[in-house]
Amino acid sequence: MTTIKRKKFICTFCRGKVKNIDYKDAQLLSQFITYYRSIQNRFHTGICLKHQKELAVAIKRARIMGLLPFVRHEK
Amino acid sequence: MKKYELMAIIVNNVDEKVAQDVAKSSILKRITEFGGKITFEDFWGERGFAYKINGEKWGYYFVCQFEIEGKNIAKLERELNIDTKIVRFLITTVDSDIAPEKYEDIQARAKAATTKPEESTPVEEKESTSKKEKTEKEVEEVQKDTPKKDAVDKKLDQIMNAASAEL
Repeated sequence: MTTIKRKKFICTFCRGKVKNIDYKDAQLLSQFITYYRSIQNRFHTGICLKHQKELAVAIKRARIMGLLPFVRHEK
Repeated sequence: MKKYELMAIIVNNVDEKVAQDVAKSSILKRITEFGGKITFEDFWGERGFAYKINGEKWGYYFVCQFEIEGKNIAKLERELNIDTKIVRFLITTVDSDIAPEKYEDIQARAKAATTKPEESTPVEEKESTSKKEKTEKEVEEVQKDTPKKDAVDKKLDQIMNAASAEL
């Protein structure tokens, strides 16, 4: 039997690079939305549940203030 | 007294100076009226929306932080909703430990984050240079081909001449 070795994935926010998930930082938040501008599943981004919940709130706030889109508009 | 943050979008049919006056007169003045204490203010300037808001594509953004009693927030919200020069606003609570960031700092951080992948871009450049080399090689080959064709033509001419001489 061959065993597949996988790297242990650590949440980007847990690493301490970003202390506070700020809704004003649209550039950071845009990394965690999909092609159709919906919030990306944490299965794909590897973010822990605690930070995913904070991130979702931040993205929703940014959307309300027009910093991030709700949906992708095809030209 | 809790610490709050307010972000507001000001209408785009006025000049930037007028928009700053609106931020001071209608937002900051009202906060102080309700017994608030302003700790931080930052005028972002004009910025495009991600989608159309009230049929407009851009507006002036204004951010400020203040300390105020919780019961006065509802009054402040009511006042700001009535104001026609404010398109939209958002009031959130802020932890007192986190230092407020200016818009320029946020942008600089975003730029720094995006410049990281530039280190890996030289690989693409190399590819492009190799493509250029390829094209140059192709050009050279074409140039090599042309004299050959001339030689063939010359030979053909010689043969034709010889044939005509024989006749």
